[in-house]
Order: sequence, then structure tokens, then C-alpha cells
Amino acid sequence: MTHAFLRPLAVGALGLSALLALPAAASAPPARYPQAFATDLGVTKLIGETDTDAPIAGVQIFVAAGLDREGPKQSGVSSLVAECLERTPVDGVPLRDAVAAHGGSMSYTVDGRSIHYYFESDPERLPAVIGMFARALAAPDFSPATVAAARVALVQRAGEGEANALAVGIAMFRQSYYLSGAGMPAYGSTTSLAQLGPADAAAFFGATYKRPALSASAVGKLVPGLGDALKSLADVLPDGTVAATQGRTRVIPAEAPRIVAHRDVSAPWVVVGFAAPAPDSKDFGAMLVLESLLAGAFDRNSTTTLGFVEKSVGAFYLYDSSPASLVVYVNGSETEPSVALREVLVVSRSLSLKPLGTAALEHFKTAAEGRFMTDSVNVSDRSYLLGTFAAQGLGPDAINAALGALERTTAADVQRVAKKYLQRYIVALVLPRQTPSQ
Amino acid sequence: MVDGLRLRAAALGAFLVLTTVPGAAAPADLPNLGSNVTVGKLSAGGTVIVRPAQGAPVAAVELWYRAPSTGFGPKPEPSLARLAAQVVAASKPLVGDSLGKVVGDLGGRLTITVYSDSIAVAAVVPAQGARAVVKSMTTAFFAPVVTDDGFRLAERDVEQEALFTGFDPETVVRDAIFGQLFTDGPQHFPALGNPKDVSAIGIADVRSFAMRAFRSPNAVLVVSGSVDPSVAEAAVGGRSGEADVDPEAPAVPTLAAAAAPVSRTFVQPSGGYGWVGPAIADEREATAMDFIADYLFRTDDGLVSKEVARRYPDAFLVGNFITLHDPGVMFVAYAGKDADAVKALVDDGFAKVRVPLDAQAFASALAQFEYHMRSDLQTPTEIADNFGWYSVEGAPDYAPGANGEDGAYFKAAASLTSAFVASVADRYLSKDPVVVTMHPDVPKAKEKSQ
Repeated sequence: MTHAFLRPLAVGALGLSALLALPAAASAPPARYPQAFATDLGVTKLIGETDTDAPIAGVQIFVAAGLDREGPKQSGVSSLVAECLERTPVDGVPLRDAVAAHGGSMSYTVDGRSIHYYFESDPERLPAVIGMFARALAAPDFSPATVAAARVALVQRAGEGEANALAVGIAMFRQSYYLSGAGMPAYGSTTSLAQLGPADAAAFFGATYKRPALSASAVGKLVPGLGDALKSLADVLPDGTVAATQGRTRVIPAEAPRIVAHRDVSAPWVVVGFAAPAPDSKDFGAMLVLESLLAGAFDRNSTTTLGFVEKSVGAFYLYDSSPASLVVYVNGSETEPSVALREVLVVSRSLSLKPLGTAALEHFKTAAEGRFMTDSVNVSDRSYLLGTFAAQGLGPDAINAALGALERTTAADVQRVAKKYLQRYIVALVLPRQTPSQ
Repeated sequence: MVDGLRLRAAALGAFLVLTTVPGAAAPADLPNLGSNVTVGKLSAGGTVIVRPAQGAPVAAVELWYRAPSTGFGPKPEPSLARLAAQVVAASKPLVGDSLGKVVGDLGGRLTITVYSDSIAVAAVVPAQGARAVVKSMTTAFFAPVVTDDGFRLAERDVEQEALFTGFDPETVVRDAIFGQLFTDGPQHFPALGNPKDVSAIGIADVRSFAMRAFRSPNAVLVVSGSVDPSVAEAAVGGRSGEADVDPEAPAVPTLAAAAAPVSRTFVQPSGGYGWVGPAIADEREATAMDFIADYLFRTDDGLVSKEVARRYPDAFLVGNFITLHDPGVMFVAYAGKDADAVKALVDDGFAKVRVPLDAQAFASALAQFEYHMRSDLQTPTEIADNFGWYSVEGAPDYAPGANGEDGAYFKAAASLTSAFVASVADRYLSKDPVVVTMHPDVPKAKEKSQ
């Protein structure tokens, strides 16, 4: 596989050089999402983007009950609460089934800063769907049977992640980098879940599901009843204070720590993790450019777009946690990992030593903007970005604010940010098991 | 019908000659797809559909073709269509960059998908790049250039894709089912063969296929998203003298007389079923088959899918009705160490839909089906895929999304009754299906000892 890697790397390097000679592209008017707005709902706010062409509407309900609220012996408790809420009876059936029978869907995602529940349906039905969630929140089912069923589901989901080398590598990095619960696995582990019972779920719910912990963002044709439904939902939760969390991270030492795990994977994967700026930082746009550059500069020159399994090198800017991080991965089934790792690190260093040329900067900004937009198309993704960016200080028109940050990025910004963030890193190696005992 | 015909060549450039504007009645040979959809004819033949939408500032640009995956010659060449489309997208034209580079530089995504008798070239890009991609895509495909460099690059890409696909149980089972349901025609062969099939194809065959398949008269260009109808101006004309040439006719496969079971080796225990279903013209029946597939096999929500996920979380299961010109195909594929148990749950599921669901269950299932239809129409790519697919299969007006919720598909869905769904299931799914069973290779020495 070595020769297969060297060829695309050479192409990538030539591509970078050649870009310096490119004439700068003519500037086009900046593309924008429909302008989003904030509606004051009293204790909380609804950030909304009206899209009357969307056949459905979706709302993300954020609760400040993410991984960073989990204590050392609570890994998985945030997801456990969510699974119990999905199973809480509403009209005699589990909430998730009640929503489905009403012509909608629900899902949840736990990330570093929050847990967010996503509800989607015909716009006119969305207030009623939110009403169902409010009823579940008012009387969550943390009975032993429900907690046991929730635990089984989480063990399955955690197991699915263990089969994905990239997910394992990212989890290893996060666990090493974050000193708070933000580094813990979203679904916990078989061991941690076995320790969690009904009392733990109820206690976590009671401590975190407070009215001020709530925020919402929605996209679609937003009917007038939506705000009232969200207000009623907030009223179900008790008032109280939400303590600020400390986004504590490890200071990454200069000698680049390496962590190793063995899994049932066919080839080694390498994940290199860096610290990264938060979305409200002046460095945000530059980090988006670096993500795009590192994700695309090393790939074999394929005509059609490659999935992450087919790519030899890729990158993800993880701004769901605070502080944020950037991971660059090397897929050992597509390339020689040690050579690729060395090249990634050489490029990371060189980006801090001299600025990109004008044409190269425009090229990578255009690619970053395109990637950002084409990753944020459906209602679920757009409503999530609106909510998470707004919560991190980008204002109500948060997606457009992120695009603005990208557009304002200069070559000096990219160099400064590469110097600030890409010089220290943690390396996570996911290797195939050599023996059954590993 | 003539009232709605507009000669808009001047307004939309020289390349669009006939267009029905949004809200106007369509001329006889152009479908009316709704008040917000512009349908026109390209100057060198072929159809263009533009469906503007607000929302994310992105656009989907897609070219759809009716063409056999195995080529036009007497000897079927699996993968020929796939390789030819990739070569054309990879080859640098006389002026400008290759399509792949144009899309990549915009930070967009380019995919090429080949089915038995159709091809889709699809890009999703920031909206401000839509015109450049329309121009690049039509330049590349309407007058295809096949370069040696493009051929080499594409051959490597498609060989790798074929390698990956060979481990995908859905594709492997579906190919086996189609191979057994149809005794000839492109449907009998995998749309993407194995890597050896790809490497056996020569550049001359690629060039010959591309020149015939990718003609403008055979194309349906679909643009959807944050664009206005004038984006179609960017489409280039085709080769001269082609405007009056007919598009390719659909392949007419021969159905197997009897459904013989198939047993093969595969990397993991797998299996599946396939039944012939209604043609696309039987809209209500085809929609009922979609309903059945949704009710039983929708990911996360389907009756069988949920039960399989609960009992056998490691198992793989997929079930779809594939709406085709004639006939459609209902197929199910499953894989994993519990494949036999999953098969039993699949059997139970099909048995349930052959009798009418009770009123409450049916109302709930229909509400979910209608929601899923809407949810699957929220991105420019999903909209463009529907218009493209249903156009090449010969029923653009039946595309979900055509004429919004007053369209044929939504009306057909709303007309479904529990009794009708059961009658359709009984008509098509009570017959003996093609059954595919796959097991891992067993080393010969071990085989002997068993």
C-alpha cells in the first residue's frame, strides 16, 4: 500500500505548490442561510429559521445535561435519562412510539455541552409533538424495568461504537484530553452502565433538568403554536440554577503522548487530536480553513467524493464540547499510517511557519465554506448548528455568523491559529488485535 | 395545453428552447411538476427540471440517463456504464477543468450511481457554484471527452468501489435476486461487477458507450435548491444534429419462469427475498408496495426493523420496493450470525401485511408513511433524486414532490386503505419469491470433515 500512498501525497504536495500560482478567483456575493431570529419565551429563547419550502419542521431542545455534567462514576447517565424519557408512557405507549403514531419522529444526541432532543413532523403537528415530550418530562419513567431496558439499548449502542476504529480513536483522544466528563463516552460502557440504577437516573434528571438549562432552535415553517408549546414545556421543569461547568482539559505536553488500543479492526487507524478554538473565538474561521485543508490535502485524487472509510486522511473540527478540539485521522487500510502521520505533522508545522498565498487561501476558504454548507442541509443539522452556535456566543443568526467568520479569515489568521493549536497533539493508535486476549 | 408553452430561448439563453414556467400548463411532451417547478427542453434534446427552494444555500445538480449498465452491445459488460461515467467525470475537457475538479474545488460532493438501466451523476455544491457545475457537467457529458489520464484514474476508483461493494450484503443479495428474477437484460447482471470486470473493459468500449448513452437527448438535467430557473442557461448544447434523436428506450427484461432458490458463498451468513411487483404506471399499487416496505422495514421505525434491532442488534436488515418502469421489485436483504432468526421475523412481517391491519394500526402506519415521505423530501438532493429517478423510469408526474402534496404520489398514498394494501400484498407477495442464501466460504478440508 505504500506506493499507493506516495502517489497521492505527491499529488497533494504538487497541488499545494500549484495553487500558489493560481489567479485569485473573482469574488461572488456571499451565500447565506435564511436569516434566523430569536424569540424570547421568558426563561428561555427559541432561535428559529423560517423555511416555508421545507415539507417538515424540526426543533432541537437543548438541555444543559451533557457529558460535562457527568461525574466520575456516572458515565452514560445522560444517555440513560434520555433512553428512559423515550420509553416514558404517553397516551399508554412509549413517548417515541406516541410521536411516531402522530406522524413525527424523535431522537437525541449527547455531546460535551448538552443533550439535545430532536423532534420533527409536519409543521402543524409539531406543537402537539412537543406537548408529548412535556408530558414525559413531567413524569419521567425511571422504574427498574425501564432503566433496565434503557441500559440494554445503550450497551448495544456502545458496542456499535467499539466496532468503528475512527470512533474508538476519537473517544481515546477525548478521554485523554478532557479532564471533565466531556471526555467520557456518550453511551457509557458496559461496566459504567451496570453501576447505574433508577436512583442515579432520577438524581441526574433532578439535578440538571431545570428551566434555565433549556434552550431551543427550530427550522422549517414555524407555526405560531410552537413558541407556546415550548413555553409550556419549560414550565414543566422546576426553576433553579444551572451551575457553570469548568471545561477542564489536560495541557498537552510537547512530547506528544501516544495511547494505544487494540480492537477487532482490519487495519490500524491513527487519530491525532489537537486543541481548537470555540466558535465564538476570533480563531474560529481560521480553524475551519485548517480543518478543510487537513481533510483534503492528502487524499488520493479521486473524481467522486470519498466516504470516510475510503479516505486515507480526514479531519473533524469538534466544536460540540468546550473547549473544542480538532482530530485528524489516518486510515491504515488506505495508506501507510506512519508515513501519513509524519506528513500530517509536517504540514501542520509548516502551516505555522509561513502564510498561505492568496490563491491557496481562497481555494481552501471556498472548499471549507462548501464543506460547511453541504454538511448542513437538512432541517436536523441546520437546527442543531443554530442552537449550538447560538449557545456558544455567535448570536441568533448563528450559522451565517459562522460563515462570516470564515469569509473574514486571512492568511495571517491561518498561520497564527496553526501556530497556536497545531503544534501539540495527542496520538491515539487503534490497532488490530494480534491475539484473542488483546 | 398550448397556452402554457413558452418560447423562452431568448430569456434562458440559446440552449433551452421549450419551457413550461411554474404554474403554467405543460406542453404535451413536458410534464407539469408543480407551481414551483420549471420544466424545459434542452436545445439539443433532453429535459431540464429546475426546482428552486429556499433553505440552505446549496444546490443539487444531477444528470440522469436511461442506459443499460452492461452496455449496448450483444455481449453484456458489467460495470461498463459505471466506468464510463467515471471516466467522463475524470477526463479534462479541451477547455476548463474536469467535472470532478470543479465540484471538488467548490467544496462540493460528486457521486455517480449506476442502476440496472439508468445512471445518475449527482453533485451538491454551494448555490453560487451551481451555474459552474451545470456548465461543467453538461460540457463533460453531452460531448464526452475520454482521456487516457481520466481512464486510468477512473479505472482505479471504480475498481476500488467494486472491491468495497463486494462486501456489502445489500448489494450482493440484491444482485443475486435480480439475477434470478430476470433471465436477460441489464437487470440480470450486477450494475457494478467485480474488480476484474472493471479491469477487463477497454477505453474504446468506454468511449463508444459514452458517446451513445450520454447524448443530450437522452438526458434529464435536474437542478434543485437555492437557485432560480435561469440556472438552466448554463447548460451547454449537445452535439450538432442530435436534437431530434429519441432517448433510449427502457430495457425489456425477461422474467424467469420459475423462482429458483440461490445459494452462494459470502463473507457472512446472509440472505434475502425478491418478488416482482407492479410497474410504475400502476401508481396506487406501487405506492401500496412502498407503504408495505416502509411499515415493515423503515430504519429504526419499521415493524420488523425494530424487532430485529431489539433482538439481534448486530444483524443487518434492509427492505425496499424498487419502483421501476416495468416491473418493480420488492426485495429484502439481511445478514449476520442470526440470519435465520431474522428471516423468521421477516416472514412474520410479510404474513401480517397480507391481511388487513386493524383501523388504529393502519391509521398510525399511514401517518408515519406520509411523514416519512415529507421527511425524505427536505434536501435539494432528495428532491432532485426523485425527479431524476421517476423521469427516467417514465413517470415524472408520479415523483414524490411533483405538484407538492396535491401530486400523484401523495394522492395515491392518501387513497390507501387497509384492505387495498392487503390485497396488493396478497397479489404480489403470496407467490414464491426468489430466495437467496449465502454462507461464508468453508475450507474444503473442513468441509470434508463435517
